[in-house]
Amino acid sequence: MIKHNIILFFRNIKRNKSSFLINMIGLSTGMACTLLISLWVMDELAVDKFHEEHDRIYQVIEHLNFSDGVQTMIETFGPMAELLSEEFPEVEFAAEAIPPSWFGKHNLSIDGKSIKAVGQIVGKDYFNIFSFDLLTGNTDNLLTDPNSIVISKELALSLFGRTENVIGKTITYEQDKRFMVSGIFEGTPANSTLQFDFALSSLAYKDVPPWTSLHSWNGSGPQVYVLLKEGANIDALNAKVDKLRKSTNPESIRTALLVPFAEHYLHGTYENGKQVGGRIQYVTLFSIIALIILVIACINFMNLSTARATKRLKEIGVKKAVGANRKIFITQFLGESLLMAFIALVFSLTMVALFLPQFNTIVGKQLTLVFDINLILIIIGITIFTGIIAGSYPAIYLSGFNAITVLKGKLNQSLGELWTRKGLVIVQFSLSIILITSVLVVYMQMQYVQNQNLGYKQDNIVQFNIEGQINNQKESFITELRKLPTVQNAASTTHNMVGHNWSVGLDWEGRNQRNIAFQVVGVDYGFIETMNMEIVKGRGFNREFGADSLGLVFNETAIKTMNIEDPIGKIVRGFYGQGTIIGVVKDFHFKSLHDKVEPLFLVMMPEAVKKVMVRIAAGKEQQAISEIQQLYKTFNPSLPFEYEFLDKDFQALYHSEQRVATLSKYFAGLAILISCLGLFGLVVFSTERRRKEISIRKVLGQEASQITYMLSSEFAKLVLTSAIIAIPIAYVLISNWLSTFSYRISLNLWYFLSAGLIALLIAMLTVGSQTISAANKNPVRGLREE
Amino acid sequence: MLLQLKNIFKWVNSGGQRIFLLKDINLEVQEGEFISVMGPSGSGKSTLLNVIGMLDGFDEGEYTFLDEPVHSLKEKHRANLYKEYIGFVFQQYHLLDDLTVKENLEMPLLYKKFKGTERRAMVADMLDRFNIVGKKDLFPTQLSGGQQQLVGIARALISSPKLILADEPTGNLNSKQGEEIMELFKELNQEGVTIIQVTHSEKNASYGSRIINLLDGRMI
Repeated sequence: MIKHNIILFFRNIKRNKSSFLINMIGLSTGMACTLLISLWVMDELAVDKFHEEHDRIYQVIEHLNFSDGVQTMIETFGPMAELLSEEFPEVEFAAEAIPPSWFGKHNLSIDGKSIKAVGQIVGKDYFNIFSFDLLTGNTDNLLTDPNSIVISKELALSLFGRTENVIGKTITYEQDKRFMVSGIFEGTPANSTLQFDFALSSLAYKDVPPWTSLHSWNGSGPQVYVLLKEGANIDALNAKVDKLRKSTNPESIRTALLVPFAEHYLHGTYENGKQVGGRIQYVTLFSIIALIILVIACINFMNLSTARATKRLKEIGVKKAVGANRKIFITQFLGESLLMAFIALVFSLTMVALFLPQFNTIVGKQLTLVFDINLILIIIGITIFTGIIAGSYPAIYLSGFNAITVLKGKLNQSLGELWTRKGLVIVQFSLSIILITSVLVVYMQMQYVQNQNLGYKQDNIVQFNIEGQINNQKESFITELRKLPTVQNAASTTHNMVGHNWSVGLDWEGRNQRNIAFQVVGVDYGFIETMNMEIVKGRGFNREFGADSLGLVFNETAIKTMNIEDPIGKIVRGFYGQGTIIGVVKDFHFKSLHDKVEPLFLVMMPEAVKKVMVRIAAGKEQQAISEIQQLYKTFNPSLPFEYEFLDKDFQALYHSEQRVATLSKYFAGLAILISCLGLFGLVVFSTERRRKEISIRKVLGQEASQITYMLSSEFAKLVLTSAIIAIPIAYVLISNWLSTFSYRISLNLWYFLSAGLIALLIAMLTVGSQTISAANKNPVRGLREE
Repeated sequence: MLLQLKNIFKWVNSGGQRIFLLKDINLEVQEGEFISVMGPSGSGKSTLLNVIGMLDGFDEGEYTFLDEPVHSLKEKHRANLYKEYIGFVFQQYHLLDDLTVKENLEMPLLYKKFKGTERRAMVADMLDRFNIVGKKDLFPTQLSGGQQQLVGIARALISSPKLILADEPTGNLNSKQGEEIMELFKELNQEGVTIIQVTHSEKNASYGSRIINLLDGRMI
């Protein structure tokens, strides 16, 4: 019987090539999308899970209880690590770290050869906690010497050209400090959130700010990781951790907590002290999109199979008459759709292989099609799911026919069946419209974000590290910079403008026991001017006033939160002794627009500046870069000049949103394409079935245009119904997403209407060609064939 | 006795009115009979044939087939019964266009428990018997109407049924082809197969041993 059914299946395909093609394109595109998304989702789920003990690695987070809500950060205090490992027997290892995102890129050199590499400063047990496998070296004494450096295999190869006999060799760091290689690690895999080329010991910079924060309870910033012993009870431990934390500072507004390190990547967003998701939301979102696309493709298959049923009625009738029962038909039709799904799988795998490089560029990953057991299970799962979903309705529908009515050709299209088919089309188009609306809104929000006034001008700012000889001659370097014809202004600062998290607490008159964490930005003269920030009260830092090292410039939010009426001249204590408020700067954004502007102050820290910011003349980027580079080379002839544009940095904050935007653009396009394929197939059949009706209408004198209108309007109604269903759903979903931004566009009806219009337009283009040709056929032929 | 119909009624409700398709049909069929059912269009001939073939139900009355009470049998049981003992021949042949002659003949056997070798033997027998070995790999559309009906009858006979039900088997054929088919039926009948045919033609009816006349669902 199976052989027979397979023969029937293939001969059927041969006779109905076009509908087979429509089905195949729809199914395989849908499956290819789903496969791509599955690859991405699997990769996301695997991030940071490669550490052998990932289920025992925890990270300290801090909830900050402000008067207006709880803020959560992964930055904590360096001494936490020592405290945890000393006090709690459950803790096997603990290590503090200045993470790569903060420590950044630095010059390493041997014998005049210089390379820039990303590093971090870590506690001695760091490599005992994480599984960055060592080629050489012993995890227990890797970083016990303040002068030791652990480098990656790749870095070893580019510095020394080998990995043997490297232990004990000296590397010069930033041309002034020397470190000895104590170990080589394999490198960081792509699915690690921690990406670094070298690690220094936390003992190395005990006295250099801001790295002093590794050893002090006086300002947060470092991160702390913990490896628990097997079987440790995390809840019990967390209760003790907070008690311990409070013992160091009973007044603290901070609550320390251990959370699983590997979970943090996907579940990293906290709102008011509660875990509310994170990247997992995108993982879920894309899983849903994958499912939607697959369902849309399956619906095509269902619709076309049932519509085509008229052509298979005889087969069903005859088989029934010779004794085939319903079960046999259900098996046959399900088998057919499974077979279709497996053929589609072959095409979709080809598509995935073809489009994987492009997909990788969009999502910023290095996904590969490696057929491990997980992937194979997923592939088989998707195929069987598709086969069963796509085949179930036709199987049940087709097998339910009565043999006699079928054989007499008297099958009336029942109202219920017609509605099912229309309903399915409505589902498809509703889903498509939701996707289109989302894409529109995401795009508009991204536009908004990029054109938002950040409180400073982010374009035409070139930034680079202060390094090498510039360290010793910062002031003259900045002065020389300002003299360059293409440079409008230049200044230096301790931090990147975006995404830093170095906060301290302060004390002032009338504090009222209120605890506020202030972000600190250390600057040099000219910074406020270079960034085009606006001083709203008082003044900025100015040499002419002298003694500015004790002056502080707060942002508006800080002043508002501190509740100081007349801030200028007020004394503030707690950060390097005491200082005076000399000015108030208009709020500016230093994090992504997801977050509200936090209290912040600027302080003169010329000794600690790490970054140079240069405002260059607009439109002369190339000239400016080459001029700056020349100047840089006169100070650091042997170091490579590496720079970044500030606006690029800022855009990087929205990478995941940008990716979502680009991806959903493609997926929405595909969804509407697949839906239209289905619609097209349906129109072909519906006009074929109504050929007699069309002929009679024409013979009775109806114009071709009227007939076209009649046929098209039926489908237009379906799309309009879809729009009515889709708009409220889209509204809820989208306002949900937008609410994750503190600064966002307001939704307006126009977005929804245009999505509906786009869908309608595309649908009408699809339907139009068929209905016009149907309406213009010779009526005599239509009637004669009946 | 092969089958017996007792007070069979069949009706449909249309616009509040009950329209009778079959009215009080009483019929006994012995094994080896060749019965022709006649009557004008809409008199219920095909309905009667479908009821006998168990493809269609009825609303009232009793139907016994080989001592089995069809009216009280479950669907599955009933299907087994007609699968085993009844073969159908249709006016429009109803061969599957996507299957070759050989495959069309094999099809009914697929729903019974025959092994592949058995099936091939039975198909070969039929091809031989009807002299269509040379056409076994052709598709129905490549055959003439008479040849298609020949295949249709061969398909009905392949599982050696006791009863053949033929709904105007010659309706789509020219007179010469029709005659050949009727001769074939006569031969089959002489070999012991019971045949019930629906026909409009007196000439065809004369091949049979008994004629049943229907008018408005009633036997007259």
